[in-house]
Amino acid sequence: MLPKLKVKNLSCSRADNLLFHDLNFEVVAGKNIEIIGSNGSGKTTLLRILLGLINIGEGKLEWLDNEENYNDYRSIDCFYQGHSLGIKNLLSAHENLSLSSYSFGASEEKIAYALDRVGIKNHLSFTSELSVGQKKRISIARWLLKDFGIYFIDEPFSALDDQATSLIIEIIEELNAKGASFVITGHRASDVISNQIFLDHEV
Amino acid sequence: MKSDIYNWFFLILKRDLLIAFRRSSTYITPLIFFLIVVSFFPLALSPDQDFLRSLAPGVIWIAALLSSLLAVETIFSEDFKDGTLDEFFVTNEPSFVLVFAKVLCHWLITGLPILLASAISSIILYLPASSFLPMICSLILGTFFMSLLGAMGAALSLGRSAILSSIIVLPFSIPTLLMGTAVVSSAINNQDYSGFLLIMGAMLAIGIPGLCLLTVEAILLNYE
Repeated sequence: MLPKLKVKNLSCSRADNLLFHDLNFEVVAGKNIEIIGSNGSGKTTLLRILLGLINIGEGKLEWLDNEENYNDYRSIDCFYQGHSLGIKNLLSAHENLSLSSYSFGASEEKIAYALDRVGIKNHLSFTSELSVGQKKRISIARWLLKDFGIYFIDEPFSALDDQATSLIIEIIEELNAKGASFVITGHRASDVISNQIFLDHEV
Repeated sequence: MKSDIYNWFFLILKRDLLIAFRRSSTYITPLIFFLIVVSFFPLALSPDQDFLRSLAPGVIWIAALLSSLLAVETIFSEDFKDGTLDEFFVTNEPSFVLVFAKVLCHWLITGLPILLASAISSIILYLPASSFLPMICSLILGTFFMSLLGAMGAALSLGRSAILSSIIVLPFSIPTLLMGTAVVSSAINNQDYSGFLLIMGAMLAIGIPGLCLLTVEAILLNYE
């Protein structure tokens, strides 16, 4: 199957610190990759390099197996969720989805379905009134607004109870079945993703 | 599906205006600050009508510049902290449109209250009625240019001290201050002010594309 993204010999240094060296991996449809490392190991930097937010130091990216698509994440619809959830406290759960930068093409029914799917009942309450866990659920609801090609998610399993963790796993599997791929980061290996990349040199 | 650029623009504008409307301090603070600064002059110097009228162009314009910079760091800082700025840059939509929508939103929540406050100030400072329209025209052009400059300062100081953006922007506001005061002074003295207004319009016409593009680059610097 044609890889959506190929990472070839990617290296990155920050302030004379080598974060990672000679990384090689492929993202293929319906499969996931987990990037594992401690704080400061370069997980977020790697995601941002893949998305073109940071220039590549050494190495090469190929999107859709095309040399010309070098460093062009726009050739695939990508979804990025960083450490912060991208949720506005002065907007309701519904507004956070309908006014999200990812909401283009998403119908009212899709927004309602996404919120119901993650168990958010009070669609019109300000998110400032919701718990951190509920805000995280709203951020997960945004994954369902459109059929994205690759989801780049920074530490999706942190600060979650077992129920929410199961929900994320279910949704990842659901989206995998539609051909979507996930590139996620974490401090320790999760049980759900078999393809893992360790960024810590000592690991 | 590639979305319509106008829908993208109005989505950002609607979202930011909704948040600003729900946080009333964002648009009330510049208005109150402007009025306080202007009303200090008659109290501190002299209530003499001719004296105040001669000071009016400078007072109004200094108050307008300072008021428009009050909340300038918030143009991007909140989006930067909560991660929505990253998302905007990852979508397929042009970043230029994002910056322009945010500048327009900043102007609507600070520039418009300043226009209202300047109308009240013209009474406090005994400005002749004939100078009212040129003053409003110059303030519309000048405060919008300040919002553009402010966005660039805010982008350069993302994640740093809030006051830094104002310090970056203030030296660049001198041409706007000079042109703005020249418009009001000329109007008070019944002289032709159209040339100054045209220069301000030209600065804005160049500033919209130029400063928006520079702001996009300044935001991207924060990821390096």
